[in-house]
Amino acid sequence: MATALWRNATRLRNVHRCLHARSLSQFRSPIPSLTTIADAFHAPSLPPLRPVVTVGAEFKSLGIYGRYLSNSTTAPNENQEKSSSSSKTNSEETQNTGDSQQSSGAAGKPVRGGPVSWLSFLLLLATGIGIILYYDNLKKRHIEEISNASKAVKEGPSAGKAAIGGPFSLINDEGKRVTEKDFMGKWSLVYFGFTHCPDICPDELQKLAAAIDKIKEKAGIEVVPVFISVDPERDTVEQVHEYVKEFHPKLVGLTGSPEEIKKVARSYRVYYMKTAEEDSDYLVDHSIVMYLMDPKMEFVKFFGKNNDIDSLTDGVIKEIKQHKK
Amino acid sequence: MALETYVSGKRDEVHTDVLLQARQACYKARDAFYSCLENHSDKKPTEIGAVGLLYPTECKRSREEYVKNCRVSWVKHFDRQYCKTKRTQRLLDDKETRRGV
Repeated sequence: MATALWRNATRLRNVHRCLHARSLSQFRSPIPSLTTIADAFHAPSLPPLRPVVTVGAEFKSLGIYGRYLSNSTTAPNENQEKSSSSSKTNSEETQNTGDSQQSSGAAGKPVRGGPVSWLSFLLLLATGIGIILYYDNLKKRHIEEISNASKAVKEGPSAGKAAIGGPFSLINDEGKRVTEKDFMGKWSLVYFGFTHCPDICPDELQKLAAAIDKIKEKAGIEVVPVFISVDPERDTVEQVHEYVKEFHPKLVGLTGSPEEIKKVARSYRVYYMKTAEEDSDYLVDHSIVMYLMDPKMEFVKFFGKNNDIDSLTDGVIKEIKQHKK
Repeated sequence: MALETYVSGKRDEVHTDVLLQARQACYKARDAFYSCLENHSDKKPTEIGAVGLLYPTECKRSREEYVKNCRVSWVKHFDRQYCKTKRTQRLLDDKETRRGV
């Protein structure tokens, strides 16, 4: 072991001498010193070295590297010798800074094999590649898991349902009190609006009526259109009745007391607000959405103002077909 | 029309002026008025409408028709919408006159 250490020390000193000579004689160029030292150590014979930046930096890194090497190659049962030899190596290196002739001063013990050989280099390479491959594999599996999970979500409402919808109790346009249970068993499209709406609600309701007919025509599915008023103070039962009957015979109109309407609007997350212009004649600002509810009165999908009749029809048919799967 | 609704609003009556026929009439009058505006867009607007919509005297008659056929809130709503579209249109057209900005 001591011989191994001695050979290491000798090599270090030789390298250091060469480097020092080079740096003294040649022009300094910005090449990282560690790589040159690594080159020097890994080759069994000392190849011609490139110039290094500063003597001080190179010397310090040499010292660190030398200590690392000597620590890694010595056996664990010779700690004391190791530390003493490494310190000896360092001290010998410090002594060699200015004087390059002192190399053979401490000659004596022969060294068997160097701390850094081709074998150790190969082992290092193998370990490194092994680690990289292992973590790469792990990462690939992780990414696959994530992409699979996200794909599964897209294929249906299995990611959990939106908390839209809920029980309500309102009066329909015939004056009868109805709850959400009366709409169960069939698909329904719910639209919130008010009868005094200038242009948007009429357009949307016309679209809704046409879509209902088209859905019946295309897929033979019965969808119940529902109109819920967000203006309970002006929309009485008769008002709603007169209003909805013009659009579609099956259009159900719902109204109620302001508290009931508030409850329904809250459960469907509908925004509505009176634009207080004058007391009698005002408009109600509201969100323009149609909610598709399944036969269990659970929310499936919503359709905004941007859909025209055909896209609404196709969207509803698609959702119904997918739901049935 | 507006007066009628104000009076009848207190009673439990159907507001017929929001039903289909009334709506159609209102839309027609509204479109007539706006097309009049377009036709006479080069004339100087001297009259003023509900929400600050200016229009020339030539369109005064169609304006009256329009106001008669539609509810007050609807008139205001449509006028506001018209002004908004006009403004955005002007912005879009104006882009070409400003170069290198």
